[in-house]
Amino acid sequence: MLKNKKNFDKMQKKVLRVESISKTFSSVKALNNISFSINQGDIFAFLGPNGAGKTTTLRILLDIIKADDGQIEWNSDGNAHRIPKANQIGYLPEERGLYLDIPILKSLTYLASIRGMDKTEAKKSALEWLERLGLADRAKEKLQVLSKGNQQKIQFIASILHKPIFAILDEPFSGLDPLNQELFIEFIREINNQGTTILLSAHQMQLVEKIANKIFLINKGEELYNGSLSKIYKTFENKKIIELHYKSALNENSLKNFKEAENIDVIENSIVKLTFGQNSDLKTVLSNLAQLEGDFDISTHKPDLHDIFLYLVKNH
Amino acid sequence: MNYIKQIITVTRWEYSRFFKPKNEAIGIIIMLLLSGSLYFGGKYALSESMPEIKVFVLNDNNGTLTEILKNNFTVQQLAPSQKDIFIKGLNENKNNVLLDIKNGTIELYAYKNNRDIKKLKTYLDIYNQQIEMQKLGLSAEDLASVLSPASTKETFIIKDTSRNRLILSYFFAGLMILAVFLSFAYQFTAITGEKQLKITEQIVSAISPQVWMDGKILGITLTGISSMITYSLLFILGGVIYFQFTGTSVLTILEYLHFPSIALFLPFALMGVLIWNAILAAIASVITDPNNSGKSSLMMLPLVFVIASFLVTRDPDSGLSVFLSWFPLTSATSMPMRWAITEVGISQLIGSFLILLLTFYLIRKIAAKIFRVSILLTGKEPSWSEVYKFVRMK
Repeated sequence: MLKNKKNFDKMQKKVLRVESISKTFSSVKALNNISFSINQGDIFAFLGPNGAGKTTTLRILLDIIKADDGQIEWNSDGNAHRIPKANQIGYLPEERGLYLDIPILKSLTYLASIRGMDKTEAKKSALEWLERLGLADRAKEKLQVLSKGNQQKIQFIASILHKPIFAILDEPFSGLDPLNQELFIEFIREINNQGTTILLSAHQMQLVEKIANKIFLINKGEELYNGSLSKIYKTFENKKIIELHYKSALNENSLKNFKEAENIDVIENSIVKLTFGQNSDLKTVLSNLAQLEGDFDISTHKPDLHDIFLYLVKNH
Repeated sequence: MNYIKQIITVTRWEYSRFFKPKNEAIGIIIMLLLSGSLYFGGKYALSESMPEIKVFVLNDNNGTLTEILKNNFTVQQLAPSQKDIFIKGLNENKNNVLLDIKNGTIELYAYKNNRDIKKLKTYLDIYNQQIEMQKLGLSAEDLASVLSPASTKETFIIKDTSRNRLILSYFFAGLMILAVFLSFAYQFTAITGEKQLKITEQIVSAISPQVWMDGKILGITLTGISSMITYSLLFILGGVIYFQFTGTSVLTILEYLHFPSIALFLPFALMGVLIWNAILAAIASVITDPNNSGKSSLMMLPLVFVIASFLVTRDPDSGLSVFLSWFPLTSATSMPMRWAITEVGISQLIGSFLILLLTFYLIRKIAAKIFRVSILLTGKEPSWSEVYKFVRMK
């Protein structure tokens, strides 16, 4: 019992605390009063559309740029720090960048060594990771000869090679094909199971909901939601989404009849997502659907993270 | 990981990126082959050989001209009746030359003026001297006495060894130009290249901009110094080979190598290259697109100052020379140059070196500051006023 209590405490230990940070670039408010905290062992996902302020937040956390206001406290080793220690942090930047004209193994060893890893150990570990990602035979080749997907795998290795306590992965799935996206999800789970706390930023919500236990939804620099994934699903579990996939032209005016819909999203002028609450009258909804013009397919489902995000943005 | 260990890691990385012994060796071999072929080719091309022209002489009644020319040219007498035909035939017989002696004047007919004709004229001068001597009744000894230079006793302030030191000081300046050129090329490639490849964000998430900047400056400085030493050794080797070819004692090279001057040059050169690397790194940090940036030309700025150091050799004790040997952007070259060719007090050496040290310390700080702020500027290039703002930022 006591042992379980200790584990529970350990799991609850805050490794990062962010308090009311704000940042303005020229006249654009990139971040407005953002606060969150991450516990040891979390996979914390920062979600939002492009330009929402995700990368700016991550750069501030790493002290690459400074916040105008607010406080940041890292506590990955039991002591509070303003700036994380290099050997405890792994970082996969949004804008991929490695030395193109230098052999892959040499680049990886260097990047791990500037984070404090022993060179021999770094080399050994890099070879192991390259083996796992099917790139061992290319260790001595220059990065420029690899495909874009393989270059991203190398970048991923570079960010976690030194076995960080905390890894920040900015858009890790960007540009990957579905197979490699699944592969990355597996790797993220694996390093998390080995004890690395993960903070990832992404806009592919369907991928994030497979691995994250906590999410932070952000739009235009402002918080939309901060909490556990299970909690937000619970909040939205009574809502229903009806999706209309139009085969013919869509007349948006005809959607005005759905007065009981809490939210109506029109995607690329061919898909309509209608969100209904628990108390919506099903008879009226069906009657309105029957009166709609045009040729379309109907499907229903519970709201996924993407739907929830759209709902929150609209109602923010 | 402590600060020093991080700097050593970055320095070693930058050094290994740019100093490639194999490439350096290939470059040296190509240079040696090229210099060798130019030297021997030039020697062969300019070597003395029998001229191709055939000289025909007319009216050389006592045979004096023929006698003078016969050892160096193919000479034939020509009958006066054949003169016109000979001249008309010059278009076909382009190597034929006619010398017609008329009343003390030599008329020369040839297809065109060339190197052989020039050589021929020197013998015509000798012929003329002999004719004039005969007229005056002078012997060859009398003429030599008349033409001998004035007898003087020479005393110079700048002795032969001073001349050797002057050559050494030019050599120092040349090495600095080499080091600055290399720094320019490497620093430009290293920083703008990394910015374009977006590597910098990855690096500065692990180490501070100051560590990154210090490591880069040190690594590329070491590259420049390594090349400097390589080419110095090569130059000395070339000197040894040259002296062997010219029959001069190989030990002559030691007359040029004034070791106290070299011992002084090395620390000054090191500081100079460090300062220029720090300045170049700061400039490269604000360049977002090297192909279209107006600031790229600033990378050539160091050369102006290094070349200005040559002014010291005109008068090493002038006010300008003293200024250049204290001013931190020129002193790294000017002070060792002055020291090699004139007397400079120890206090001047120490003072000048301390200013260099202080300048380096400040510039590397400014460079890291500029880099820190400009690292994420990949779109619009900052203006000078914005750069000034970066420097003043806390």
